[in-house]
Amino acid sequence: MPTMTVSGHQYDLDPPSVQEALQGVLPEPIQEHFVVINGRRWPPKQVLALVTGLDRADFTTHQARRALTRLGFTAGRSASPRPRHPSAGAAALSRPAAVGTTEQPQALVEALRPFIGLWVAVRGDEVLVAAPSPKEIVAWLARHRQRAQSMFRVPDSEQAVTGAAPQ
Amino acid sequence: MRFAFRALPAAGGGVLTPRPVVDIALEGLSDAPMECLLDTGALRTRISAELAPLAGIELTSTLTEEFYVGGLKTAGALARVTLTVADGTDEFSWDAPVWFCDPWPHPFGLAGLEGFLHYFLVTIRAYDGYLDIEPRLNSEGR
Repeated sequence: MPTMTVSGHQYDLDPPSVQEALQGVLPEPIQEHFVVINGRRWPPKQVLALVTGLDRADFTTHQARRALTRLGFTAGRSASPRPRHPSAGAAALSRPAAVGTTEQPQALVEALRPFIGLWVAVRGDEVLVAAPSPKEIVAWLARHRQRAQSMFRVPDSEQAVTGAAPQ
Repeated sequence: MRFAFRALPAAGGGVLTPRPVVDIALEGLSDAPMECLLDTGALRTRISAELAPLAGIELTSTLTEEFYVGGLKTAGALARVTLTVADGTDEFSWDAPVWFCDPWPHPFGLAGLEGFLHYFLVTIRAYDGYLDIEPRLNSEGR
């Protein structure tokens, strides 16, 4: 198990222990940097704070990112940082023509694929959050002052999206 | 307002056929509009009862009915609620009858005649993969 020093403290961390520490936790909004763990994007500082118990003020995003990439996790940078406030989020909901009907759907499909069976909140082709229930989705949006374009459950079978009998 | 048909991943791989959907926000849940399948054959507008308490909508003492949807027997409770559609620039709200159903088999709501279609001029352009909605509201909602 690799030993790493963060903010003057030594920790023994390996990928399974990091993955386990994130079970049952929802990722916070990605501002710019992220790491991919368990098929989801996480803010590096959220992850390192969770696995070390350190305060986030004790280390930088780059230190967190470096520590997690040393463990083998993929890191990336969001193409356009997310707006922090709902008003800005509303502006990000593009007009119909910009939502488009050609490129965007495939990007959303691939973004949704890891979350089959889960509830999601999406904005554009980005999955803001995924959780087992709409209650958790709504709570997450409120907590992080995010506004979704749409909320739904990613169907886990073709049957779930067919058979809507007229009433 | 224009809404692109939404494609979703198929559980077995590949992509489900893109479907006409509109994202409709319940009063009290403006940050989480619910995806609703446009259902021109449905009389009612129906969504999961799971959403009612999240929006602070009480379903006690309301009119209820039992029905079948997707082969599943379920029960719906009626509530008049304010619904909102927005596309990031324009926004439109209306007061509508919505049936909150439990159990609810679909991963989305169903936008039917009452509650949705009576309030809009809807143009479906399936070939192009989108639909346009234009508010057509009067005091009767029709």
